[in-house]
Amino acid sequence: MIASHNIPVFGLAFTVAYAAIYVVCTEVNLPLVSYHPVTAEIGWLWQPQRSGPVMYWYGWMLTSLIGALVVAFVAAAVPEPWLQRAIMFGGVAAVAYLLLYTAALFIYDNATVELEFLKSRSLSVAGALAVAVLVSCFVPSHWNKRVWAGWSWLVPAGSIAVLAYYLMPYFTR
Amino acid sequence: MIFWTTLLIIHGLMAIALLGAITHQAVALWWPLRVPAGSFVARVRAVPGTSYVGAIIVLYVVTFILGAWIYTQYRFTARLALEQLRFFKTVGAFELKEHIATMGLILLPAYWAFWRRPLSADYALARKQVTLFLAIIVWSNFLIGHIVNNARGLGS
Repeated sequence: MIASHNIPVFGLAFTVAYAAIYVVCTEVNLPLVSYHPVTAEIGWLWQPQRSGPVMYWYGWMLTSLIGALVVAFVAAAVPEPWLQRAIMFGGVAAVAYLLLYTAALFIYDNATVELEFLKSRSLSVAGALAVAVLVSCFVPSHWNKRVWAGWSWLVPAGSIAVLAYYLMPYFTR
Repeated sequence: MIFWTTLLIIHGLMAIALLGAITHQAVALWWPLRVPAGSFVARVRAVPGTSYVGAIIVLYVVTFILGAWIYTQYRFTARLALEQLRFFKTVGAFELKEHIATMGLILLPAYWAFWRRPLSADYALARKQVTLFLAIIVWSNFLIGHIVNNARGLGS
């Protein structure tokens, strides 16, 4: 059971975790199930298309649901400052990753020499984590006393922006 | 085909009801009335936002489930036709719609928690922000759904 005063924290953590995990699931393609609409068959995890298209959306939602529920229960049990620090760290790391990876790809595309290492995601991930650690060190302590409720709309809004970016090829063909 | 068309009409009607409810609540929250209501607009602004919460959550969930159900049919009928017609922007808009709808659905636990009675002053600003964001989501999806339906929907 969740204490009454922890319900907003649980709801907020669920929304934030779900939005973040969902973006990862769509990008890496991690469906819990795959659905074949023509034959109305459901299969576990990722499956290739058979007779007709395959749908992963339901699977991404289920994967994210499990992850978000686990995170939300843990979040409701830990002190609020810890949760605030974790979300802040994750948010800064995500933004830093997007900026660093975009910059790396831009440099790779425009460089006159072959800089293959810039295409590696792990390099940008390492850089983003370093930025998040640095920012976390300089965040005023009063910012971390309570969870900022605004994360509940800011993280999903950011997720929509990232997902829209992934869909750009549809609009530029 | 009659079954799916009926389902699509019900989905659309539920979406209209949801659109009205969330718009009403967002207007009353962001532009509250300080004096007794007289005109139509003033009455829209004067509604108590808390009374809409349950209806909005139920309408959103039901509209979402209907949409997710219709999506199975759309995927191998309307979408294939849209791709053959090279309506890629319409297909992309619908892909975005499914993601936006998911984000709206997962916003509901936080939305409900912030609107729980007695209303907490701690979450007054979050309540306004989340309600506005949910309204933007509902409007976006309504308009995208409308566009897709115009391209390859009822009667096509």
